[in-house]
Amino acid sequence: MSAASELTGWLLDLYPSPKGGVTLWLIGEDGKRHQLHQKFPVTFYIAGKNEQLRDVWRYLKAQPVPMSLSRTERRDLFSGMTTVLAVEVEHPADQPILFNALARQFPDLTYYDADLQFSLRHAAVHGTFPLAKCKVTIDEANWIQSIEVLDSPWDLDLPLPPMRILTLEPDVDPSHAEPKKLLVRTSRGKYIIDLSISPRAILIDLQSTLSIYDPDLVLTAYGDTWLLPYLLKLSDETGLPLSLNRDADHPIHQKGARSYFAYGQVIYRGQQVHLFGRLHIDIYNAVMYHDYGLEGVWELARITSLPVQTVARVSPGTGISAMQIVTALKQSILVPWHKQQVESLKTAYELLRADMGGLVFQPIIGKHEDVAEVDFISMYPSIMVHFNISPETILSGRHDPETGLPLTKPETGLVPQTLKPLLEKRIAIKGELLTMSKWDIRYKHYKAMSSAHKWLLVTCFGYLGYKNARFGRIEAHEAVTAYGRDALLLAKEAAEDMGYEVLHLYVDGMWVKRTDCSEVKDFEELLDDILIRTGLPISLDGIYKWVAFLPSRMNRKVPVANRYFGVFQSGEIKMRGIETRRHDTPLFISRVQLEILQVLAMVSTDNKLSEVLPKIRNLLRGRIQAIREYRIPLHEFVVRQTLSRTSNEYRGTSSVATAIRQLEAAGKSLRPGQTVRFVYTLGHPRIYAWDLPTLPDTRSLDTYRYIELLMRAVETVLAPFGFSRKELDEWVFDNVQTVPLWSLDSLVNTRSNPLTVKRTLPRA
Amino acid sequence: MGRTLKSITQVFLEEEQAFARFRRALRRSDQLVLDDLFASARQHIAAAAYASHALPFEVFLLSMLLEEHKEVIRLRQLVEEMQNERSK
Repeated sequence: MSAASELTGWLLDLYPSPKGGVTLWLIGEDGKRHQLHQKFPVTFYIAGKNEQLRDVWRYLKAQPVPMSLSRTERRDLFSGMTTVLAVEVEHPADQPILFNALARQFPDLTYYDADLQFSLRHAAVHGTFPLAKCKVTIDEANWIQSIEVLDSPWDLDLPLPPMRILTLEPDVDPSHAEPKKLLVRTSRGKYIIDLSISPRAILIDLQSTLSIYDPDLVLTAYGDTWLLPYLLKLSDETGLPLSLNRDADHPIHQKGARSYFAYGQVIYRGQQVHLFGRLHIDIYNAVMYHDYGLEGVWELARITSLPVQTVARVSPGTGISAMQIVTALKQSILVPWHKQQVESLKTAYELLRADMGGLVFQPIIGKHEDVAEVDFISMYPSIMVHFNISPETILSGRHDPETGLPLTKPETGLVPQTLKPLLEKRIAIKGELLTMSKWDIRYKHYKAMSSAHKWLLVTCFGYLGYKNARFGRIEAHEAVTAYGRDALLLAKEAAEDMGYEVLHLYVDGMWVKRTDCSEVKDFEELLDDILIRTGLPISLDGIYKWVAFLPSRMNRKVPVANRYFGVFQSGEIKMRGIETRRHDTPLFISRVQLEILQVLAMVSTDNKLSEVLPKIRNLLRGRIQAIREYRIPLHEFVVRQTLSRTSNEYRGTSSVATAIRQLEAAGKSLRPGQTVRFVYTLGHPRIYAWDLPTLPDTRSLDTYRYIELLMRAVETVLAPFGFSRKELDEWVFDNVQTVPLWSLDSLVNTRSNPLTVKRTLPRA
Repeated sequence: MGRTLKSITQVFLEEEQAFARFRRALRRSDQLVLDDLFASARQHIAAAAYASHALPFEVFLLSMLLEEHKEVIRLRQLVEEMQNERSK
């Protein structure tokens, strides 16, 4: 044996090497970047009839790939112990190629552990994850003899390794115009490369930066979709080297663009460029980047064990799926290739009972004061963990005779096992955030982690019933909602037993009030009681100074579950379903509505409504005047609508149909899922499509229509304070001065309408 | 014991039980009103037994309606009396 040496550092990259074994890149504590190698044979399994497996055996024996075959027993999550043919491939890089050839040759067999992301296999065996701190012993040729992971992805404060980051950013979006300049930034400074100079000069310049600075992460704008493919093409044409990869033996991996349907909309993902020995993230091709940033990407990579470059570009559902695979691999549970589960048959009655979503109440319409909003923390994941709901733990068709809830097996299921540490980490971070100052250096980091966790947990519920998920089963999905409805009713009963009035219930949240409760401590007893009754973690989302539940636009007596706005004691405004939150509302109108809400937010029992009413009226009159005098930029009036059908299915004289016809006349066509934008104008046809070559004349704007739309948005927020539309119009458009404040005050206190008084008082 | 048919009280309790899930998902205040309705139906349980209707719940609904209408008549008379007194 050669002499072994020890090395500590952070795991930057990990992938099967084309030369055999695995390549690992470590950012050493010594500041050096180490390329290491490790032996890592991978195994996949095949189940099928004996004669078929004999054929497979013969086929595999004839392949030139080094491997060993054996017959063994492994556990299938649903069908239990299964006899399988184990194929151990010596070099991990050979496995996907071998498997694809095999699956084409024998498409009818059941394959397990066959198409797994390599990093997950390594994580299951060695406990590695991206950026983990590791201690390795290596021989003289840099082959790893042992690897020990020093930290856990569940630690709250994992330090980031000292990474060198190179940022590359073109001056404009390449899909709009040809970029002229490239901004290059490192920790040592920044400079600009002029892209109009010769390709040789660009490449020589970048190559020297890459070799001198030797970055660990290349962070780009449009790097996937334009920059890196462009640079690689230049390098190809000129024959000059460009070492984007650190690993010279591994080719750069380019993936094509694709569109897919998810969460009810068509999503477009651009092409991708993956590097080896170095990371590349394109901030415009990274999912949820705007939400959780680089910090969120690190967190997701750590807890899912997916490679950083992959996790930055996939949906959170893939992350959950990856975590389940690691859990399964660790316990030698077979991971199916194609999911072959089908729903077991149900009677009509069972369907009636099972196929319901979350419980949603009709709120009590109107404005309510000192209302507490109580939410279950990550309700559905909590239920899966607490009640052990997993596809394999559901006892089909068995229900608790008393509660009617689905029964589960006692052994902890795969999903609860996977989710438990994630949920615990989320609750711990939520707890920390609650008391942490916004200026704490950890605050931003915790926020990003929390947001990354939220996305993972949200998708884990969907994946439980998703037919393409490897470990999904619809009954498990239904069991979760059944427990969810029960938990919410238990919470309601707890509240009512304690004398609270339940204003609203919405899936995982409850709005309650009691006359003597207005502070956090007043509600503690209730929270404790709900926790005891349900066993699920619950938190006080906040106490509203006031909250208004709004009626339907169609019928003033019918409440709508998710249309409300209110102000927390902290002054924070929360709103759902009103104009400001809607994507089709013109910017100007949503802004004025928000401005009014901000003024209303000052209203509490201490600060009377009457004190802010003149302010609102002045604000409104000012804004209306601004519309009339054309002082508001035209783009703030643009109305947006998303097309749900193909453009030739829009007929007639609706605004959308008119706008589409105008665009088509100008040679522009729209596809379903795209947005049509237009403004309301005077004269025929009263619509002007925004994306026509020329902008409409400012003076042609239909100001009357916009004022009307504005007044409707204003009515939404003022109606709960007792304003009818008629009174509102008189109040705003009348030249009469407001009544003295003292008279209003008395009226507000008696809960009558402050505006009705105006006509009974002498006009000034 | 030994009955071929369930007693009307049994039937009544079963029908009430059948609405347990409905009742559970109501606000407490509405639950109490619902209980009132069932209580008023119970007042006519003897008549319901005599009717031996194939769909007993229809009879219970009619019983609830009966009590409701009695209340309407009573309130109407009360209003009329008060109006008469005022116009005097």
